Amino acid sequence: MMRRPRNFTRLGFEGMSGTPIEDRQLRDLMQRYQHADAAALEELVRHISPMLLRYFGASCVRWHDAEDLVQDCWIKIHRSRHTYRLSEPVMPWIYAIARHTRLDAYRKRRRLESREVLVASVPESQHHSAPEAAREQGEIDRMIAVLPESQREVLVMLKVSGMSLEEVARATSSTVGAVKQKAHRAYETLRRALGKERGNGE
Amino acid sequence: MANNQADDDLEHRLVAWAAAEQQGLRVEKEHELCGVLTASLKPVRQLPSKAKLTGRFLLAFAACAAGLMATLDKAGFHMMTAAQMTGMAVILAGGGVLFSVSLVGRMVPGSRSALPFWMLLVTSGLAVSGGMALLFPWRASHVVVSEGWPCAVMELAIAVPAAAIFWSLARRGALFASAGLGAALTGLAVFLALTAVQFQCMYPQAPHVLVWHGGMAVLLIALGAAIGRAMELRLP
Repeated sequence: MMRRPRNFTRLGFEGMSGTPIEDRQLRDLMQRYQHADAAALEELVRHISPMLLRYFGASCVRWHDAEDLVQDCWIKIHRSRHTYRLSEPVMPWIYAIARHTRLDAYRKRRRLESREVLVASVPESQHHSAPEAAREQGEIDRMIAVLPESQREVLVMLKVSGMSLEEVARATSSTVGAVKQKAHRAYETLRRALGKERGNGE
Repeated sequence: MANNQADDDLEHRLVAWAAAEQQGLRVEKEHELCGVLTASLKPVRQLPSKAKLTGRFLLAFAACAAGLMATLDKAGFHMMTAAQMTGMAVILAGGGVLFSVSLVGRMVPGSRSALPFWMLLVTSGLAVSGGMALLFPWRASHVVVSEGWPCAVMELAIAVPAAAIFWSLARRGALFASAGLGAALTGLAVFLALTAVQFQCMYPQAPHVLVWHGGMAVLLIALGAAIGRAMELRLP
């Protein structure tokens, strides 16, 4: 029987950086950033980078790569800062840019990998980081790591960033219905994995 | 009962996972990043509202359409019936509005999308082809190709510079190359081109407009999507 996922817990930013920050404050910082306030920029980098690291880290890239992606993402955010409008929530705007950064990086990696194969046979891929990451992470991380990318990013946005379905839909250029469906599938997969784990344990 | 327990367990684990302490960038990386960004920090002018941006696209669409209608031959205008003219005007203007809204949504990251883009393509395709099939009589000419290719060439000749004009308007936004962006941009340009071609075409018959006007429109949108995709894949 199909069951709907439980209510998503909104954690805000408290769980991430230890410093609570609300969307209203983020909007204020964005406004000051648009007016070239360096202090606002630094504060934004401090508050948002951990979340971006978590987002990129969940895509099974190595920590070092995730840091590079955060930097790339900030450069894109910087170039696009004039497109942010104060009437809109900040996080969907940030995550929409982060999503493009991740996709660009993925394609670049694929391209480099295909070139490496053509030039010479590389004995060990540089990007077999999923098992490595999975080893280092806990059980739930292992389960989340096997989710399809689209479901994983929805889960990170909903659970880690505490975004609403509507905000996730905006960030992923999708509809609320599609986000609900992805979250539901992610929950189903996790529930199955958990059941299997219990079965093995008994 | 067991399901509820499993749900609770999963929820508990996910909450713990989400709340796990997460470190930020290393201090030196954060300083380096802030330094780079601060070096080019200048006040920026906020992008106009989405309504204004959409208005600009529609204004450009209307101005180009009016200019083309003024300069091109008006054979179609004289040959079409009032119903055909009204029907096509509504469909083409509707397409122009929908593609403008879609393009503006792509200029601003994190925009709300009420309609998936594929659905916009399907809906507009069905509206145009349905309108053409229902509004125009099904009389086939014996000289289909010689009558048709000038319309197709004209549509191409209008759509290419129109796409460039719309691109120049759109590039102030944060555009990320993709097949969807290419299709949205050419879609808007194609609707403008269709408006002009429909206005001057002297063969108001369903087979002609479906094949040479509609077919060319599909080809151009597919080409735009392919260009967008190629740009997306070649991104550094």
